[in-house]
Amino acid sequence: MLVALLMCYAGFTALCLSTDRHHGELLHSKPSPRRRLGLRAAGWLLLTVSIWPAVVIAGWGQGLVQWCAVLMLSALLLVLLLPYRPRLAMNLAGIGLLACPVAAVATL
Amino acid sequence: MKDGFRQAMAWLHTWVGLIFGWLLFAIFLTGTLSYFKDEITHWMQPEVQVHGVDDARSLAVAQAYLERQAPTAARWFITLPDSRDPGLSVMWQDKVDPGKRGNFIQKVLDPVSGQPVQVRESMGGEFFYRFHFQLQMPHPWGRWLSTFAAMVMFVALITGIITHKKIFKDFFTFRPRKGQRSWLDGHNAVGVLVLPFHLMITYSSLVIFMSMVMPAPIMASYGDDTRAFFSEVFPATDNAPALGQPGKLLPLGPMYAQARQQWAGGHVGRVAVNNPGDVNASVNVFRAGSDSVVHDFGSIVSFNGTTGEQVRVSGEPSLPAVIGGSFYGLHMGHFAGPVLRWLYFICGLAGTAMIGTGLVIWLGKRQLKHVKSGVMPFELKLVEVLNIASMSGLIIAIAAFFWANRLLPVSVAERSAWEVQVFFIAWGLSLLHAMLRRGRQGWVEQLGVGALLFVAVPLLNAITTSEHLGVSLARGDWAMAGFDLTCLGSGMFLAWAAWKMQRRAALPSKAEGVPSLKLKPEAH
Repeated sequence: MLVALLMCYAGFTALCLSTDRHHGELLHSKPSPRRRLGLRAAGWLLLTVSIWPAVVIAGWGQGLVQWCAVLMLSALLLVLLLPYRPRLAMNLAGIGLLACPVAAVATL
Repeated sequence: MKDGFRQAMAWLHTWVGLIFGWLLFAIFLTGTLSYFKDEITHWMQPEVQVHGVDDARSLAVAQAYLERQAPTAARWFITLPDSRDPGLSVMWQDKVDPGKRGNFIQKVLDPVSGQPVQVRESMGGEFFYRFHFQLQMPHPWGRWLSTFAAMVMFVALITGIITHKKIFKDFFTFRPRKGQRSWLDGHNAVGVLVLPFHLMITYSSLVIFMSMVMPAPIMASYGDDTRAFFSEVFPATDNAPALGQPGKLLPLGPMYAQARQQWAGGHVGRVAVNNPGDVNASVNVFRAGSDSVVHDFGSIVSFNGTTGEQVRVSGEPSLPAVIGGSFYGLHMGHFAGPVLRWLYFICGLAGTAMIGTGLVIWLGKRQLKHVKSGVMPFELKLVEVLNIASMSGLIIAIAAFFWANRLLPVSVAERSAWEVQVFFIAWGLSLLHAMLRRGRQGWVEQLGVGALLFVAVPLLNAITTSEHLGVSLARGDWAMAGFDLTCLGSGMFLAWAAWKMQRRAALPSKAEGVPSLKLKPEAH
């Protein structure tokens, strides 16, 4: 569940950064169209691919339920962190992405 | 035309949400607590000691006890302890004339000594579970009302998606410290981010209720009983009838092992024995609900009790049963391990928060119009009182329920009923208080009382039992320790909320700037 959580969180952060408003708030600049597209693609890719570790570890039934739960709560966590600790919210996504392979090796 | 449609939806969302919001808040909060039903029961019956789970030993102990105490019973039920519920529960039904149903007698045994544990009478977590769909009403009415509330919830969700059209565009938006704007942001955020859960829980409740409120023969004969498992027991009745000749029941252990083998290592939830003293005794081994997401109501392996021969294995469930079972399973979350269970709990709290913020927004928007005159019309006063009593009042009532469990003497007659009485008395008092002390003052005081009651729960537990945090943590009794810690956490959250309210209440009196409440009324 941890790998899926890290991937979902990073994916939502990428999607969040692909909007003009949040990119401006977090990085104080307007994203270029290419960057916006890249972030959006990366975000959707991460969210979709995160099904895989969840299902591999827990099987289809449990895995899909866990994935849904993790999907919802990573978004909730991000949205609650953004207004209070924007830098932490961003850093968490980065750290999460880096930790992903480690967690994957440890659990898969 | 399009705008007319959205306005109609907004109207429906607003009014349906208001009328049923108070009830739905209570249903959601108590339902959320039900995810920790067993843990709450464990805390409320601290006499039941935790031992390592050893099913073979538990079964042998239970069988020995029942053979001593109830050799002539019509049926035995043995519910094995698991990591969430440490009690070994045995129940038997007296044998009576055909056509009548004998009384059920239930005991909790210590799985090591085999002696009955003297537990205090308490409904435990079962109370919240029962309340969230029966609403403490006489039999069919509570279920009908909660079914209707579930339908309304579904309507409110769909109309909400249409009304708050910007929720998907503003997916990541939450702007705190902006008064009414923040409430709306929060309402939208918990609404849309946890939307799959809301839809699942609401729709599945309708699927569950569909079979509960239909006049099915099972419900017609068993409906009044508070134990849901009679319906599970139902398939067991086509076992061989008693012959009237005494017989010797074989040990249950090997049958248990054989059933598990049949399920490729799946877990056993309950063992039922029909006519235990008869030559035609039959043993039904029920699979635990925690084994799979899809709840299977009739996963049973049946044995002949005196020969040990495997008589019947229930087949694969039909497709409608799988679909119904998966909605049931998803709603109940029996399959969830500790982490997933907590995620369920958080989702439930998010749903509760969505309803609560909706109620606050309804009132806040309308109060704005009357800020200048300073006089609130009667209906707004009424909504305010009901808001306070239904939210903070319910929280106080829950805390009072826990306090009653520890403070009521063990010997009081009808003790568990008294615990429930205390719950409703506390709720009623909070309604009175809300009428007397309106507005923010009411909120601050009630949240403050709730905070005190919850923060002090670990202390209360330490004074009245020997299961305080030092003991439970050291022994790894996470249900007990988790309950104390969760109460502490909830209490601190309530204290924070009360403090925020207090500060906000103090603000407008300082003539400084725009009071936080007065912000642009948002399309809603």
